[in-house]
Amino acid sequence: MNSIEEKLWNYIDGSCPPQEQQAIEKLIATDEIYRRKYDELLQLNNEFMLAEVDEPPMAFTYNVMEAIRTEKAMQPLKARIDGRIIWGIAAFFIITVVAMLAYTLGTVNWSSGASVVKQVELPVQLNANKLNGIFTGPIGKGFLFFDMVMGLFFIDYYLRRRNMTKPQ
Amino acid sequence: MQSKLSDIELIQQTINGNQSAYADLVKRHQRFVFTLALRFTKSREDAEEVAQDCFVKAYRSLNSFQQQSKFSTWLYTIVYTTAMTFLRKKRVDTSSIDDEQTFLQLENKPGGFDENNAENRSRSFYLNQAIEQLLPDDAAIITMFYKGEQSLDEIAQVMGIEANTVKVKLFRARQRLKEKLERNLKHEVKELI
Repeated sequence: MNSIEEKLWNYIDGSCPPQEQQAIEKLIATDEIYRRKYDELLQLNNEFMLAEVDEPPMAFTYNVMEAIRTEKAMQPLKARIDGRIIWGIAAFFIITVVAMLAYTLGTVNWSSGASVVKQVELPVQLNANKLNGIFTGPIGKGFLFFDMVMGLFFIDYYLRRRNMTKPQ
Repeated sequence: MQSKLSDIELIQQTINGNQSAYADLVKRHQRFVFTLALRFTKSREDAEEVAQDCFVKAYRSLNSFQQQSKFSTWLYTIVYTTAMTFLRKKRVDTSSIDDEQTFLQLENKPGGFDENNAENRSRSFYLNQAIEQLLPDDAAIITMFYKGEQSLDEIAQVMGIEANTVKVKLFRARQRLKEKLERNLKHEVKELI
């Protein structure tokens, strides 16, 4: 059985069923012992509400955010790469391979008998001189210059990140 | 402007990459998280470490917050488990947590009870002192119930126990708190006489 105190605490907290709530209400109104105990516990309950909440140090929020920033910066490069980029590259290669395979199979002369592939004809006659022209011309130079700038930019970015994550 | 946003809105902004939204969330909950951590660790330095760890953990797993409970309840669950792990790491096992002798020293700690001017002490001072002398679980339940605006069910969720068990624990914690408060006040009256 519940003690008077336990019943009264449940009544104060409102954690007992409505019927019990009414019964206790009646007891408080009629029984002197219940009334006194109820007043005492109610006063105590009000006092408990006055308990103070402690204040953390002033730099607490800053420290938390700094810890988060450091943790994010220390994540390995592997974890920062977006998975969609990887899937995009994979899709590009798969589509290229499938397209080349389909084209090759499409050019095969299936009716020629014992020899499966006699001759696969490329759509364009590749000329080595023309290829050389691509890399030595202004487009090729511009492309190489762009690559160099991008390379320097990423090296600079990587070194900056590394310096920032170094413990002081 | 930011402080008017709800917890859920701040969480959404944080997930979208706005770190200052999370700073607002930390500012909003830091006092209670720190207090709760202090109830377990009994030292401000350790409480700061635990509280900071909790906010970092919460940030890390913000995506997994399902919004099925209040953010505060979810956050206090992290505080509770982190504080328990911290105590275990400090080699304070369950038996010593339950051993009142561990915390008796707090009753005579310097700068506390015997050294301040009695006239400056309010009832809330004695109350906080009595809470400090409670066992960690009792102090945490009292704090969550009265200051953390947590219901019995929410405290049960935080502590991973049944709501009825929380009810019993809360009842016992209140009794112990009442005893400590009365003892401290008696001691004070004796000193004055």
